[in-house]
Amino acid sequence: MTSISNKTAIAGYGATEFSKNSGRSELRLAVEATLGALADAGLDPGEVDGMSSFTMDNNSEQEIFRAIGGKDLKFYSRIPQGGGGTLGPVQQAAMAITTGIANVVVVYRAMNERSEYRFGQPLHSLPPTSDNVIFAYHGFSGLMTPAAMLGLMMRRYMHETGATSLDFANYAVQARKYASTNPNAFYYGKPITVEDHQNSRLIADPLRLLDCCQESDGGVALVIVSAERARDLRQKPVYIRAAAQGSPKGTVSLGGFYKNNIWPFDECAAAARQLYAQSGLRPADLDAAILYDHFGPTVFPGLEAYGFCAKGEAKDFVKDGNLAIGGKLPINMHGGQLGEAYIHGMNGVAEAVRQLRGTAANQVPGARNMLVTAGSGLPTTAAILGVD
Amino acid sequence: MTDANPKGHNAPCSNRDFDFFYRGLETQQLLVQRCSKCQTLRSLPSPGCEECGSLDWEPVALSGEGEIFSYVTHYHPPLPGFSVPHPMALVTLDEGVRLLGAMDGTDPGDVEIGRRVGIEFLRRDTVAAYRFRLL
Repeated sequence: MTSISNKTAIAGYGATEFSKNSGRSELRLAVEATLGALADAGLDPGEVDGMSSFTMDNNSEQEIFRAIGGKDLKFYSRIPQGGGGTLGPVQQAAMAITTGIANVVVVYRAMNERSEYRFGQPLHSLPPTSDNVIFAYHGFSGLMTPAAMLGLMMRRYMHETGATSLDFANYAVQARKYASTNPNAFYYGKPITVEDHQNSRLIADPLRLLDCCQESDGGVALVIVSAERARDLRQKPVYIRAAAQGSPKGTVSLGGFYKNNIWPFDECAAAARQLYAQSGLRPADLDAAILYDHFGPTVFPGLEAYGFCAKGEAKDFVKDGNLAIGGKLPINMHGGQLGEAYIHGMNGVAEAVRQLRGTAANQVPGARNMLVTAGSGLPTTAAILGVD
Repeated sequence: MTDANPKGHNAPCSNRDFDFFYRGLETQQLLVQRCSKCQTLRSLPSPGCEECGSLDWEPVALSGEGEIFSYVTHYHPPLPGFSVPHPMALVTLDEGVRLLGAMDGTDPGDVEIGRRVGIEFLRRDTVAAYRFRLL
């Protein structure tokens, strides 16, 4: 079997500012991020021959390609499941380059999520596709928002593990603490307290406003090339040590309520098994992580599914301060999607690149290997990135 | 069934895999699928059996009674068709399958994991629907 492990690397990344109203088109954001990533890597746009993104992205490959002055696009692909798909395009790029289908692949996500779309609104379910009839079946009872869907899963998690909203406050406070010292974050200069969290209004009980990610406009792009090529470019190569998708038996998109464990867990554990097998690394080998926080409380089962603590022990792991720099597993040093911005997890991938280069605002000293995850509670993706 | 409503129900978004469920509500029946080959019950409709892959199934009516497995109360943003706060429960029915149901009409503070509930059929506007009530 051909392994993708360490055959490719992220050679550059680019990002727009993160805002509540970008004031320009989504395509413009995608193009700016792409050109930024190419400049960061020191690559000419004419070298791009592959692109991969999310099915939810509204920017077509060929339009970005035209706008950057691309020459010959050979590979393009899309990954579904919204924020569950974050590392899917990275895996696509790694596979395309390893198999010789493409040489320089741009991965992008750009959206005016706050100013034009607002994902937190009740979902509309027409036409009756295979996913939409399930959303409608649940929406029939009033379950219509991602917050309520994850809230239903997390309530069971709380029941089985004893975790409480106060435990979730510990993550919300840590994320905003990191964000408060990240100039690119919405929460820059604005740390919160446990009381702020507990006093924030209920969105979908047990989830409070300060458990929810930021509504955001912005774009992020990565440029991925072979490991060999990356070593000749401007930046320290960030190797893709492993990349996986996970959708085990019983997985339903934001509706996996019919299997034994309804926590946002099984799909993460399935991705984790592949990552550790591909990379030969163990959880203890990872210096830091970006754990997807569409809703902060999902970080708790995430820590367990990816093997950093046993089932039900995340509340103590977090309470003991292990998520801070100097703890056992610093996570989301950019402030996460609670504190920095929500670009479907792509801003977290960018943060992992900065951490591994040693250039982050809140730097984990000597970080060499990091886990990056995607949305949970639906088919998911994840990757392990590292530097020599 | 009339020509004006060939699906036999007014549910807003359904297809031929889900129609039987909403049609059952029209006659105040809670229908789930039973695999004709391995007899496994499934509540979330699907054309195939998750256990054995058989495409053959028949509808069976359940009691609608069971125990709350998890729950959530929606507060924000406003929901079309429901007032907030709006409690919902995921119930393990006595026959062993789970079913999500609204619990409007019940104080959210009374909704707890482990509580026994029963189904109540009602109409929401023109649509035949159901919700759970505490037993």
